[in-house]
Amino acid sequence: MLKPLIFVLAAVALIALPHGLSFSQQEILVFLVINILLVTSYRLLTLTGEWSLGHVVIMGVGAYASALVSKELGVNVPVSILLGGITSALLAVLLSFPLFRMKGFYFLIGSFAAGEIIRLIWKRFREPFGGVRGISGIDPMPDFSLGFYSFDFFEPVSYYYFAGFVVMICLWVLWRIEKSPVGLTFHAVHWQDKLAQASGVNLRAYRTLAFAIASGFAGIAGALQGHYVGTVNPNSFDIEVMVFVLTWAIVGGTATFYGPILGCVLLTILNEIVLRELGFEQARPLIYGAIMILSILFLPNGLESIVQKVLPRKAAPSPERKAAA
Amino acid sequence: MLSKFTASGFTRRTFLKTSAAATAALGLPKMALAAGEPIKIGFLAPLTGAVAAWGKPGLDGCEIWAERVNAAGGITLSDGAHPVEFVAYDNEYDPAKARTGATKLIREDGVSFIMMLGGDTWPGVQPVAERTGMLFSTLLPSDLSPDTTTLLAPAEVHPIYNVTGVEWLAQNKPELKTAVMCAQDDALGLPSVATYLAAFEAAGIEMLDEPLLFDPSTTDFAPVVTRLLAKNPDIICLDTCYSDYVHPIAEQLFQQNFGGQIISCTADFYDQMIAKTSKDFMEGFIFQFPDFDDPALNADTVNFDDPNGFYAEYNKRHPGQWGAVSWEYASIMDLWKAAAEKAGSADPDAVIAAMQEGPGNHAFGDAEWWGEELFGINNALVGDWPVVAIENGKATIKEFRSIPDWYNRHGDLLIKHMQDYGQMWDQRS
Repeated sequence: MLKPLIFVLAAVALIALPHGLSFSQQEILVFLVINILLVTSYRLLTLTGEWSLGHVVIMGVGAYASALVSKELGVNVPVSILLGGITSALLAVLLSFPLFRMKGFYFLIGSFAAGEIIRLIWKRFREPFGGVRGISGIDPMPDFSLGFYSFDFFEPVSYYYFAGFVVMICLWVLWRIEKSPVGLTFHAVHWQDKLAQASGVNLRAYRTLAFAIASGFAGIAGALQGHYVGTVNPNSFDIEVMVFVLTWAIVGGTATFYGPILGCVLLTILNEIVLRELGFEQARPLIYGAIMILSILFLPNGLESIVQKVLPRKAAPSPERKAAA
Repeated sequence: MLSKFTASGFTRRTFLKTSAAATAALGLPKMALAAGEPIKIGFLAPLTGAVAAWGKPGLDGCEIWAERVNAAGGITLSDGAHPVEFVAYDNEYDPAKARTGATKLIREDGVSFIMMLGGDTWPGVQPVAERTGMLFSTLLPSDLSPDTTTLLAPAEVHPIYNVTGVEWLAQNKPELKTAVMCAQDDALGLPSVATYLAAFEAAGIEMLDEPLLFDPSTTDFAPVVTRLLAKNPDIICLDTCYSDYVHPIAEQLFQQNFGGQIISCTADFYDQMIAKTSKDFMEGFIFQFPDFDDPALNADTVNFDDPNGFYAEYNKRHPGQWGAVSWEYASIMDLWKAAAEKAGSADPDAVIAAMQEGPGNHAFGDAEWWGEELFGINNALVGDWPVVAIENGKATIKEFRSIPDWYNRHGDLLIKHMQDYGQMWDQRS
């Protein structure tokens, strides 16, 4: 009885949330929702023990694909967003052939190189990718009315509801995947790989599966962003943005589903709202960096460890224990 | 009620009405100004990150401009005098953050005008500009298109003015016959490459190699410089490289014993370049942005108010930080102030109409609204531009040259190279 009530209250709070914010905070909320999907999808890949530096570029692949199919082929925007995700997933499968010949640090560097190649392709080929300027004038989500509420997707509140709905569905799917036998196998691939292999688990196939699923959802995040901002360009998906994703994941922690989300939400609020409001506009990178270092020094297990201390019974079992289960 | 509000088409008029009502209800700044109430101007540019050198010094210059204007009585509109104040938002050269910033400046801060660097960030802001009718300015006229009539490029016609430096070089150093060029591969670098190619071709200077385009994330310029020097050119052109590139490239050229001519769009913080190389090495370095203590800026034709005093004050507050944009945003404000006073209103429509009524008072002299062939709209203010050389460790204006004169003679070359690099307004995706 308590659980459904909590869900209803959370849903009401999320629906009411943008109405308590300023216009610019509503804009930030839209990007925050999209980034939550990005960082959560990234965590799925890390379950197999692999950390990629190409995840943001894969997000860009979804953004470019969705922009192109909607702009050039006239495909309906919601369908193009889905196609953007599928394109990212398919590309990830393709990239998995060279990349999963490597592990650990080598995979990290390999993923960075693969991402840079994709970015160079966007820059080099003005047709169809728009070269260094990228693609602008991307079709926005078409407005519609539900009778009791009219969606004008130029407005951040409307887009927040749309993106929030899509992201909630994606998070639910990611959650179900992690809790399924496939998700447990991802843990095993990371923590008990020899044992898993001896049990007949195809390690490479599961790594590829995690990479493709994570990339697919990152692609959807990219497409959501592209259709809101109206432009994509190669610099929007460079290594600097990837560093932010890594930071959210590391500061939040990756042992639990909510860890990276916690990192993303708190660091975004800190960087985009608190520091700007306090007048530290130009000192933000410095302060942001200092807070990151302090959190790594004093919270080595991420922000999720605080939640686990406060709610000890809700603490997730360690990944090692999950894998061994 | 909510449905009724959102179902009605969202136009500029409804936006102004609803935002005025909302701001009144929320106690936020009002759009309509009361007598004596400050006029707010938005400053939406990169203040941190790699491109901050073309944002932050401009904001510093604007603060000095505002103090001077306010001390002189402010901006006089039909309802009396108003002080002016700047509201800044760091867009980090990111289109998504630029969109957020534009929304904040318009809907929360109630600004009357927004100045931007432009470039990669403009496409993120363009829908906001079109939806709200807000008046924007950019330093990069390559952002201009007929789609947005409220975007102006009133300070500089980057990169077209670069032709003046090449033309001056060809006439004053005719012994220089060959050139090579490098540039970062981005929205600032490419139109500049096309312009320099047209200028070199018009001047009869041979390009020994294709322009060397490097990735903006490049940090090691030794291989870039080695490849440039392999052709043994008379001139090395640094295009519109950011100062983070110009400095290490100059350092590498010095270390690899280049003794020829260097030409560049900018040489921000050139005193640091001299410290890293030598005074002799930097002697004769040609670029396009003067120090404002230059006596040539005291000519009657120059429209910037007290340039020497402005430069002195800037250097007092921000020693060693004078750069290409330190004066540019302030000069845009001169134009905006004159137009608002002429219109008697800070309303964007009234200001833009007053601004484009006849020739404009550009900082370097009277200029015409121009650009239809290149940008699809006459929203760029074009006139004379200075050619600057480093002489005895100090930037010195050598001459003012007319951009329209060059374009009338060689415009076809510029269009050809712009088309080759996909930089014409109708080639943008």
